[in-house]
Amino acid sequence: MTTVAARPPTTTLEVSGVTMRFGGVVAVDDVTFTARTGEVLGVMGPNGAGKTTLFNVISGVQKPTSGSVSLGGTRLTGRAVEDVAALGVTRTFQTPVMFWGLTVRQSIEVALAARQFGGTYPPAPWRELAPCGLGTPGRRAEEALLRARADAILSRAGIGTMADRATESLAFGEERLLEMARALAVEPTVLLLDEPLSGLNPDEIHAVLDSIRAARDGGVAVLLVEHAVGELLAVADRVVVLDHGRTIAEGTPQAVAADPVVIDAYIGDALE
Amino acid sequence: MIAQIWQYVLAGVVVGAIYALIAAGFVLIYQVTGIINFAQGEFAMIGAMTASALATGGMPVLEAAGIAVVAAALTGALCYLLAIRPARAATGVTLIFITLGLDVALRGLALFVWGTNPLSLPAFSGGSAIVLFGGALPPQALWVLLTDLLVFGALYAFFRHTYAGTAVRAAVANPPIASTFGIPLRTFAFWSFVAAAAIGGLGGVVVAPITSATYDMGLTLGLAGFVAAVLGGLESLPGALLGGFVLGIVEKLAGGLLSTGWEQGVGFLILVLVLVLRPQGLLGRAVRRA
Repeated sequence: MTTVAARPPTTTLEVSGVTMRFGGVVAVDDVTFTARTGEVLGVMGPNGAGKTTLFNVISGVQKPTSGSVSLGGTRLTGRAVEDVAALGVTRTFQTPVMFWGLTVRQSIEVALAARQFGGTYPPAPWRELAPCGLGTPGRRAEEALLRARADAILSRAGIGTMADRATESLAFGEERLLEMARALAVEPTVLLLDEPLSGLNPDEIHAVLDSIRAARDGGVAVLLVEHAVGELLAVADRVVVLDHGRTIAEGTPQAVAADPVVIDAYIGDALE
Repeated sequence: MIAQIWQYVLAGVVVGAIYALIAAGFVLIYQVTGIINFAQGEFAMIGAMTASALATGGMPVLEAAGIAVVAAALTGALCYLLAIRPARAATGVTLIFITLGLDVALRGLALFVWGTNPLSLPAFSGGSAIVLFGGALPPQALWVLLTDLLVFGALYAFFRHTYAGTAVRAAVANPPIASTFGIPLRTFAFWSFVAAAAIGGLGGVVVAPITSATYDMGLTLGLAGFVAAVLGGLESLPGALLGGFVLGIVEKLAGGLLSTGWEQGVGFLILVLVLVLRPQGLLGRAVRRA
């Protein structure tokens, strides 16, 4: 495995005038912001503010009614989900979703291989069927390397002892940790985290926040949607606040937390 | 009486091995795309008819067989590119109806090209019948069973020991999430049609020396393969193998012990029973996707 996907040299995510309508409902209304390398951008807002829809637009799951998203000058809007992913945008979901049928380690190995092969993933069957059947030394070494990398990632995520467990057997919090580790395994340029702390115990919250900080320090642009406002404000470098699909505030956590408009629309309720 | 039953079982194993190959095609396409491809039996017909026509024209049997499998695979590729992919945004029911249309179209094309007369294909190897515990098998039966062994062995190796196979398993578990990791679902869908068609074509090629080849053989094979796939579990390749053998043996026993009419009908009785009593099949999961 030597092919690595070519990604844009600069990693600023630009969301420009994105609007998303569903019939008469405007879920996202002319939202514009940037997310830079090595920062955590908190995305706050009450339920129905358009946060998840915005993530769907950025990751290519939904095409916006108008506006565009680009990464380092490369337009993402209009590309298929897998193409957006190959350019370095990875996400998690409100409810963690596992690859049932695979073990915990295999779940990470799938992500690692996806990153390693990049745009040529998966390799053509004839490139790997024969060697795997014969168990060539090169192939075995490659598999051992992948396995070691997967185990290291699982250890960092605090679930190293679960590597051989079936994903169906994981508890909710363990699924969250695996989903986070799986997302980080593809070495994303932009990581979209949709309520990664919900349903976790304090130790697990601590582990996820550590992972977020480590990703940021490693140069990832992290977009974090989270209803745990205290934790979000503590980990975010900047915050964008949405309400009814529109941006009502943007700035540092301290500035946003003190903004009367934000307090009135969201934080007042969220901190009660 | 016991010797007679044993003979029916042996005959059922041979037929079941063919059903298993057709069922494997159903499962491959269903796993990756969620589509039940009712044109699957026609891939077997394309394989059988192409090989028989080429061999009748003087080509060596194994050479003709190889070309026939490639022809079936190309047919599968064209079916996907021309009929399925353009309609990929359609609902599942619409896609199933498209495959029914493909089934009719391919049969009509075969009628146009080869006519109604059956074509024969020489057995791959000569020799006398193989006697096993008093029962007899035609020499071609060994080729049929060998084909099953190779196909299911290759599929096992692919899904368990290749990066692409693991990626397909991830995509089967959850297609939308898999795509967020860069796993190309459309590419998988294309190759699932090609592989299913090649496997179906191979089934048609190896069965042709036993049954002869006709333009409408795909309908019967396709329906039997569908029943075998449902019986085993639509998302399970081991289930396809098991379902094929169970169906083949039950058909031959019913045909031999009750009446020949039951040989055709018992499969549909099994289908109804499975759908009522165990919809996930013998080896399928009760819940398909997360």
